[in-house]
Amino acid sequence: MIEKTELLVIGGGPAGLTAALHAGRYGTKTVIVDDAIRPGGQLIKQTHKFFGSRMEYAGTRGFQIAKLLLKELEKLNNVKIYDQTTATGYYEDGVLTCLKGERYFKIKPERVIVATGAFEKTIPFVGNDLPGVYGAGAVQTIMNLYGVVPAKRVLMVGAGNIGLIISYQLLQTGVEVAAIVEGMDKIGGYQVHASKVRRMGIPILTKHTIVEAVGEREVEGAIISKIDENWHPIPGTEKKLDVDTICLAVGLSPTIDILRQAGAKIAYIPELGGDVAIRDEFMETTAKGIYVAGDAAGVEEASSAIIEGAIAGISAAKSLGKSIPDFEKQIAKLREELNNLRAGPFGEKIKLGLKKLKELNQQSK
Amino acid sequence: MNFDVGIIGGGVVGCAIAYNLARLGEKDVVVFEKQYPGAGSTGRCGAGVRQQWGLEMNCRLARGSVKIFEQLSSELGVDIEFRQGGYLVLAHTEKQLEQFERNVSLQNSLGIPSRVITVEEALEIVPYLNPEVFIAATFCPTDGHANPLLTNYAYAKAAERLGVKIMKFTEVTGVERLNGVFRLRTNRGDFEVGCLVNAAGGYSKPVAAMVGVDLPTYSERHQILVTAPVPRMFDCMVISFTSGIYVQQVPHGSFVLGIAEDEEPGYNTNSSWQFLEHVAREVTSILPVFGELSVVRQWAGLYNKTPDSQPILGEVLPGFFVAVGFSGHGFMIAPKTAEIMAKLILGIKPDIDISPLSLDRFEKGELIVEPSVVG
Repeated sequence: MIEKTELLVIGGGPAGLTAALHAGRYGTKTVIVDDAIRPGGQLIKQTHKFFGSRMEYAGTRGFQIAKLLLKELEKLNNVKIYDQTTATGYYEDGVLTCLKGERYFKIKPERVIVATGAFEKTIPFVGNDLPGVYGAGAVQTIMNLYGVVPAKRVLMVGAGNIGLIISYQLLQTGVEVAAIVEGMDKIGGYQVHASKVRRMGIPILTKHTIVEAVGEREVEGAIISKIDENWHPIPGTEKKLDVDTICLAVGLSPTIDILRQAGAKIAYIPELGGDVAIRDEFMETTAKGIYVAGDAAGVEEASSAIIEGAIAGISAAKSLGKSIPDFEKQIAKLREELNNLRAGPFGEKIKLGLKKLKELNQQSK
Repeated sequence: MNFDVGIIGGGVVGCAIAYNLARLGEKDVVVFEKQYPGAGSTGRCGAGVRQQWGLEMNCRLARGSVKIFEQLSSELGVDIEFRQGGYLVLAHTEKQLEQFERNVSLQNSLGIPSRVITVEEALEIVPYLNPEVFIAATFCPTDGHANPLLTNYAYAKAAERLGVKIMKFTEVTGVERLNGVFRLRTNRGDFEVGCLVNAAGGYSKPVAAMVGVDLPTYSERHQILVTAPVPRMFDCMVISFTSGIYVQQVPHGSFVLGIAEDEEPGYNTNSSWQFLEHVAREVTSILPVFGELSVVRQWAGLYNKTPDSQPILGEVLPGFFVAVGFSGHGFMIAPKTAEIMAKLILGIKPDIDISPLSLDRFEKGELIVEPSVVG
């Protein structure tokens, strides 16, 4: 038996939940599949307050935003959430296979919104496969979601927002952070986050990288080194840190497997995190009826994921023939909101990536 | 640019022919590959290497290929992960068993060490087999499996070392024959070659059509499923000609399995959930323990088929050679076939007579009936 639905949203993070909410409001029969222990995506482990404006829940902590979105969704009885369910494949006849525990089932939707988020990148160094080398996001999950103290003393690699925020949360958990190393010559994340960890006495070493994870069966230390302008370690500058855990916060890449399987055209746009699906301004990919939103569309932030989710949700509902009287107005407002979010210096890279994406989309027509 | 020999197709067959030509002294060879070596059927194949055939010529090609596979890693300088864990062929009916007994005596007469075994003996080799679904089996311990991508790569690199030019991302879009040479148009300029070889796998028919030859080949999707890696369970390939299933654990622990399915001719290489369910049903019937394994991936490739599921080999027009239509067993006989093709191109008499595999067998009605074909 194949379950039929108008809209399938893959991923119950900020983009997916908002997409379902906006499509669901116009009567779209919607199924959300989410593979985590409970829906909410990365929000459910985010204890920090959000920036932006009211539309993206500024001033609210991440996990509270997830609760608010889920509460809104509960009011819509045309939206179902299948939790702890993985969409395992998109097939040639538009059928998606899913796994909930041991149960295998199939869904055939009329539209799909892929909101599968991103996965953590890694970097090459000696011993990077030792137990004790984690993605920083994974450490955050262990701490904030499962309530487990993940380490005694940590080396954080990467001083972007994720590296900075998770270093601070490690401190709050009682874990020591030996240092944060950053390959660039400046801190990538927001000043407010950097200042917080600095005040706690954590050194942030720019132009530094990890060269080796030391240990026989698990991490027992880390060797860091200064790097030159070509990112090569400078001999003689190595330093050994006694740590039992190494966290890599070296960026994210969009999770696009389902989009590839659906035949969406993919392009490599480093500003957006790597391979992304080419899409139009309504978040529809080159595979008709397949939309993308959030980090899966290009690595950015939860705030922009929420707005992209709204655009994809309304657009998918519209394409299903739902009556949306103020469609143009809503889309225009959401786009304006996105532009505001990307207005600062941190938005420059994203805007450059989006410009490339737009050109590719025009070429593909 | 001019070359003595141009080969269309950089799969295992094309690259191995190029390597053998160079090894025999003909180094002025170019291979045109529209993507990269292994991007087509070779890189997508199940990569089993079986000698248990029902016809003498096939046994000889397979036996010759195994002899080459046994030392190919050292010959080419790349570990191609050739492992001889054997092939276990399940007999489900008395009629099948009678055929297998005949095959085994033929195989033994040609030096292939296969034997008929009982259900109990089969269970010693693969304890996970369901004894309810078969009545006997045949086993050949020197059959095996290699890594198709590494094999393809090893042939390509070895050919390049000997002076062969491999043109990646170069698609031949037109062929003209004038004054005894072939003029090729590609997306990377024009080439002239004295001799042309069609080793285009799934695309053998459109390539031959450019030369004005109508091949009775067609392509058909075949799919594969891969499980998550698990500790070593058994070393041999398990196959059944009844369902057309084959199952093999590759060196890093994943199982790779496929099955024969009804397919329309075409070039579709998408994956289907129907295949996923079909192969899962069949494999759990012969190997119930597979119910515990996780699927990690699926892919599809093309069988290039002929009306009798046997390849077409030889010269079809003066200077135009084909090595096509391998019908799903190209990889396993590629080493010997490529050696023979190289010899034919250079006018050297090969040690196996492959004239029964010529194109005109279809006109003459001399089709080859091989009883032991999967899919």
